[in-house]
Amino acid sequence: MANTWGYGAMTNSLGDIQNAKAIIIFGANPAVNHPVGFQHFLKAKERNNAKIIVIDPVFTKTAAKADHYCQVRPGTDIPFMYGMLHLIFKNGWHDEKFISDRVYGMEDVMEEAKKWNPKKVEDVTGVPADQLIQVTTLYARSTPGTLIWAMGLTQHSNGSSNTRLAPILQLALGNMGVEGGGTNILRGHDNVQGATDMACLSDTLPGYYGLSDGAWQYFASSWGVDYEWLSGRFKSKEWMGKKGFTLARWWAGVLDGKDGNDQIHNAGTNLKNLFVMGNGITSIAQQAKVKEGLDNLDMIVLCDPFVNEAAILTDKQDDVFILPAATQFETSGSVTATNRSVQWRNKVVEPMYESKTDHDIMFELAKRLGFYDEYTAGMKIKENKQDYTWPEDATDEIARIIKTIGLTGWTAKRIKSHNENWHMFDQISGRGYGKMKGEYYGLPWPAWTETHGGSPLLYNINRSVAEGGMGFRNRFGLEHDGQDLLAGAGSAPKGSVQKDGYPEITAVNIEEVLGIKLTADEKKRIGKNWKVDTSNIIAEKCMEQGIAPYGNAKARAKVWTFPDQIPMHREPLHSPRSDLAKEYPSFDDKENHFRVDTKYISKQTEQDWSKDFPINLVTGRLVNMNGAGMENRASKYLAALTPEMFCSINPDLAGKYGIRDGSMMWIHSPEGTKIKVKAKYSHSVPEDRIFMPFHFAGHFQGEDLSHKYPKGTKPYAIGESANTVTNYGYDIVTQIPETKGGLCRIEFA
Amino acid sequence: MLANTYERLKTQIGRRSFMKMAAVATAAGATNAFANDGVTRAATQEEVKNPFPGSTSVKTICTACSVGCGIIAEVQNGVWVRQEVAQDHPISLGGHCCKGADMIDMVRSEVRLKHPMVKEAGKWKRLSWDDALDRIATKLKASHETAGPDSAMFLGSAKMSTEQAYYFRKFAAMYGTNNIDHQARI
Repeated sequence: MANTWGYGAMTNSLGDIQNAKAIIIFGANPAVNHPVGFQHFLKAKERNNAKIIVIDPVFTKTAAKADHYCQVRPGTDIPFMYGMLHLIFKNGWHDEKFISDRVYGMEDVMEEAKKWNPKKVEDVTGVPADQLIQVTTLYARSTPGTLIWAMGLTQHSNGSSNTRLAPILQLALGNMGVEGGGTNILRGHDNVQGATDMACLSDTLPGYYGLSDGAWQYFASSWGVDYEWLSGRFKSKEWMGKKGFTLARWWAGVLDGKDGNDQIHNAGTNLKNLFVMGNGITSIAQQAKVKEGLDNLDMIVLCDPFVNEAAILTDKQDDVFILPAATQFETSGSVTATNRSVQWRNKVVEPMYESKTDHDIMFELAKRLGFYDEYTAGMKIKENKQDYTWPEDATDEIARIIKTIGLTGWTAKRIKSHNENWHMFDQISGRGYGKMKGEYYGLPWPAWTETHGGSPLLYNINRSVAEGGMGFRNRFGLEHDGQDLLAGAGSAPKGSVQKDGYPEITAVNIEEVLGIKLTADEKKRIGKNWKVDTSNIIAEKCMEQGIAPYGNAKARAKVWTFPDQIPMHREPLHSPRSDLAKEYPSFDDKENHFRVDTKYISKQTEQDWSKDFPINLVTGRLVNMNGAGMENRASKYLAALTPEMFCSINPDLAGKYGIRDGSMMWIHSPEGTKIKVKAKYSHSVPEDRIFMPFHFAGHFQGEDLSHKYPKGTKPYAIGESANTVTNYGYDIVTQIPETKGGLCRIEFA
Repeated sequence: MLANTYERLKTQIGRRSFMKMAAVATAAGATNAFANDGVTRAATQEEVKNPFPGSTSVKTICTACSVGCGIIAEVQNGVWVRQEVAQDHPISLGGHCCKGADMIDMVRSEVRLKHPMVKEAGKWKRLSWDDALDRIATKLKASHETAGPDSAMFLGSAKMSTEQAYYFRKFAAMYGTNNIDHQARI
């Protein structure tokens, strides 16, 4: 999404879904994963007569609330969406003016869409042609329509194409930048958005600044440390600019290409120490490989309120440290919800037992590693303090530095005032009343200045920038292939001095674009461009003139730096349709993908996987659990709801293998791994696929690991991890694992 | 839980052990075992209205998912005693799912980690924070010097506060590696 229009985040909000006339949900299950957020969907249905369309391989609890449910084969979202686009363009339901003013490269999409007629879509996706026509007609004619997705779109080897085609569908219909429209990704954990914004990521610094030398220089100076000192901490400046290993494949970094494992490129070393803080790594794909990685480390450090089951999975005998971390109710700080809005989470109680907060653990280690002063210097800069107050000074440090996503307005004081006054905001628009007037709840980013009220609805040109309006971001240059990338005539946000498209604002072009004259003092203080302007002069002046600091450009349907410039269908690496895998092959293998060589076509063509592994495997969540389930299984009440790991299986499929309801079954993966789970008859899955929750750990390939838990730490429910049998396969751009659409073989146990 | 029972017990036993006893009492209470033996009595109206005298309410946010529901946590003598939905929260509107309603139980779970531990020769051993941190830092420092900073992998969390996540990223940077990631990658 960031590659389409500038930011990769939910564009509208949960409350705004109540404005929709049609809601299409692709590979997301909010009724289970975001139950309280789902009330806004149901209100749209009840009050606005909105139609809900669910596209999912499994008949979920969300599907049970839908007006239309399309049971798509895993990994065929792109053909389905092209099928919709085919009908939209053919019938002229697209928004021509919107496309010509605000979108680049739609012609190529139109060409590709021609190939995907309803009959062909039916063959590939399994969704009847009539149904495709019915839901497309409904969706295209019920505007505004909102498009929801979650991991059902991302967890594929071509997930990054899925998450581009969904925005393209919305752009085609002109559903962007309007109330009740937008692309609304539902984040999983409570602070995925915040932790992503802060770049607990291997490919960027906080605020998506990237890893370029300029970005490091900006952060060194903003952190109050010497750039040479900082670069001296790395192996070399060269390695400062290289993406690191990811959560999906760090274990390959330990295994170092030995015994047929993928080759790595990691500054001449393999991984020796693993430091984990609040991350249930028993919920990542290929658990057998995770175990192998863990077993071969020199040291494992696991900081969590509960035992991290990585400690149970590994057979490593020494130097496995378990540190008791405080929960988020034993500290305070800010948290960013799925719609980019921030909330202050107040401390409820002091850390229990001997547990310590995450930041205290980091501070203590920084002291011992000799960089504590440099580490904490950034918190003291703003007011030239002797010491800092956690977390307020950290919040203000972030607000001072992160311009790219407009966090200037997120000062601790303002965020706290929203907590104190949360009753003063409208549930649909987020608008504040009374003394909160002029602000939106949680100051959804970008909040460009210290008084800006936030932007609840991205890319809305019907509001002024000061009131949260903006066009698409100018992020990909001014032109491509001779075509102008700036927005068309008359498509600037309301109240702007510029009526058309304009570039992102720099110290050089500010006077020209804004039509102003800077004083000599301002010229001296202004930063090079809006992203590094710590004086915030650019943003302040922009607000006065109605200009978005990041420019006003076209969204792009075509990403010329990606392997597929427009999204193309490619069969999953393990496809049940070997005929289609030949017609729509995967990508070429990718060398050095986040430091590890990654297989695509060679894995797909290694053998006809569908012969020995004829059943599709889909994983997902349960309402009483999330993530690796550590927290929830440590609660006796939640654990009691699903005390055992299970597999949903259609009785007709189970019958073929002699598997009875409630009996045990084996599931085998193409990687040679297996798990033993209880069969649960269910018609939520058809005969060609099975569904499993991914929240369990504590059993491994049929073995109960209870004896490996430290005394008094074993959760109330344990079981096989579904991820022991999820397949090899990683997204071509993001390296997100392909856990939604692998293959397996089953037998009675 | 009855206030007079609570008051009486509070003076006799520690708070934590009281919480455990309260759990037992609740379970037993369900069978009405105590109803006739003079241990319990009907609550007064005041006790029903205000079972935790002197408690304070903290407005905070659920840690389960990205919806960000409001929670009203009731705290008495430093113990989280009761959890209430936030009727006036603009997103959750008084709603709670089973995970959200369970936040109080998660924090007070008996299977929480209580002290640092290390596995040595296959056995779990308790150790002090200072010992644990010293030993971890020594190893990190040694690998930094011999194998280089890229020998470490830092896995952070979407369950941290934004400030902690930012400081986690800064930690990896100052250790000298880009081997850092979190759950957005799944």
